[in-house]
Amino acid sequence: MSTPVPAIAVSDLHKSFGHFQAVKGISFDVLPGEIVGFLGPNGAGKTTTIKMITGLLKITSGTIRIGGLDNRKHLAAIKKKLGYMSQKFSLYALLTAMENIEFFGGISGLAPHELRARMHVMAEQVAPDVLRQKIQDVPPGIRQKVALFVCLLPEPEIILLDEPTSGVDPEARRNFWNEIYGLKKRGKTLLVSTHNLDEAEYCDRIIIIHNGDIVASGAPDELLRRHQQVNIEALFENAIKNHGQN
Amino acid sequence: MKLFYLVKKEFIEITRQKELLFLMFVGPVIQIIILGYVISTDIRHVPVGIVNMAQGQAAGQMIQRIRQTPLFNVRYESEQSVDNLDLLKKGEVKAMLIFRDALDQKRHILKYPEVQILMDGMDSNTSMIAAGYFNGVIKNYILHDMEKLGQGLPFSSRAVFRFNPQLRSINYMGPGIVGFLLTIITMFLTSASLVREKEQQTLDTLLISPLNTLEIYIGKALPAALIGLLDMVIGLLVVVLWFGIPFRGSMFYLFLASLVYLAAILSYALLISVLSATTQQAMFFSWFSLMIFLLMSGFFTPVDNIPPLLRILADINPLRYLLKIIREIFLKGNGIAYFWKDLLALGGIALTLMAVSLLNFKRFLSK
Repeated sequence: MSTPVPAIAVSDLHKSFGHFQAVKGISFDVLPGEIVGFLGPNGAGKTTTIKMITGLLKITSGTIRIGGLDNRKHLAAIKKKLGYMSQKFSLYALLTAMENIEFFGGISGLAPHELRARMHVMAEQVAPDVLRQKIQDVPPGIRQKVALFVCLLPEPEIILLDEPTSGVDPEARRNFWNEIYGLKKRGKTLLVSTHNLDEAEYCDRIIIIHNGDIVASGAPDELLRRHQQVNIEALFENAIKNHGQN
Repeated sequence: MKLFYLVKKEFIEITRQKELLFLMFVGPVIQIIILGYVISTDIRHVPVGIVNMAQGQAAGQMIQRIRQTPLFNVRYESEQSVDNLDLLKKGEVKAMLIFRDALDQKRHILKYPEVQILMDGMDSNTSMIAAGYFNGVIKNYILHDMEKLGQGLPFSSRAVFRFNPQLRSINYMGPGIVGFLLTIITMFLTSASLVREKEQQTLDTLLISPLNTLEIYIGKALPAALIGLLDMVIGLLVVVLWFGIPFRGSMFYLFLASLVYLAAILSYALLISVLSATTQQAMFFSWFSLMIFLLMSGFFTPVDNIPPLLRILADINPLRYLLKIIREIFLKGNGIAYFWKDLLALGGIALTLMAVSLLNFKRFLSK
């Protein structure tokens, strides 16, 4: 059986801002249909790496391939495959949820009838009066739901979620991860960055990043066994400590 | 179609801000009315002091004429010598007229008195105009007197003022204010637009969307252009209906020139938006640019008065050409045959600014 082409293949990736090295030669793959958790404290290099994958940040050196395509040469084609949800949800504060959906669907090139159908789907999930409010006035959980919905409008194959659960309550987090499982079942590939270590259990594989370096990667159970740790928190602390000593 | 959604989003964002709507559509009306009355080069009610030490009738008759004109307000009168400088220093009067009997060498009083005009030169413009009026009153009095006595005049002159016969400064300023308004609204609205996207962190989502650079560029400029044109129409209605300034030219040419101007000013505003890191920076940059544009445009004083080295700035100032064209269309009713060179220069500036701005916009988006 031949190995599938990785959905995301990162090789020897570096990013410097002046003298500061934010990402120091990391390499990893994300296979089609996988949920990969990108774990690390704030400032570890998670967002920088995700932004380089989307093409929002220029790569200092190394390569990123999306579905086999180099993202420096085929960015336009890659954009069609990618869905991206940023840390702050990136919705327009003065627009209502529906207006945000209409806008992002419209600029994604959805046909008007298709757009109306999608808006109908959202209307079935959230109370109409909430959908009519400006997005700045709705609870974070709903904002997160709308942001994910917007990210999925162009039906991307690969979804990059940058700290999607920060600032939402535990129930909204649980619901959100249920939605992520739903996406996996639909064959989507997901790279989810988080600094909430307990979210590692939801992932097929995790990559722990610290100070721009990958300090551990693999399936959560396998990593716990390999590092002889009882939980992800202990694993995380141990991996960072060992990395610091090396 | 994608562009339609971007433009629609921009309009929704603008119309959701009630304060901004007020500033965009009611503000300009208030601004034009206030500026229309305040920005004037006409002189009225200049405070004047008169010292009449002459014995003849001529001085009295000349003073009577000065009293009758609305240009001057006689605040101080005396028949004895006074401390003129002190009155000027206190600011009670801007001009002192001193009438004395003119004596010949044999100490005989001549027919016309000597008139000394002392002006407060601090406001040089008003002083020059007022001094000109005083001299005119005196000269006219003498000429009128000579005619009455049946003495033939060596020459006669008569000035005819075309296009603005009443010499109302509002007729000159009003169309200029409309052009200025177009600049303020579009520059402030556009220069903040991209920075706002950066600040509310929506720019990334926009950049990862299938929208290309040109679509984002046009999507940002178009709403401001449409609002600017609407404001221009409001401005035109105010200057024509409120101030009664005649519009003698072609509306088509006015809009043509305005569109070319908008291409220039919006490109410049988008360049500001790209170069600024915060809304505060963009606003400061816009305000600074606006003052330079205004001072170098011939809005207040003729461009010819600008020193040669600084004239280069005036030559590349798009507002200068717009004001010239607007005034020609408004007051002279000129067609394109009279201002095609200005329109061509404006077009050249617009193209250059568009190229520079689009290049920087592209570079910024691909960072």
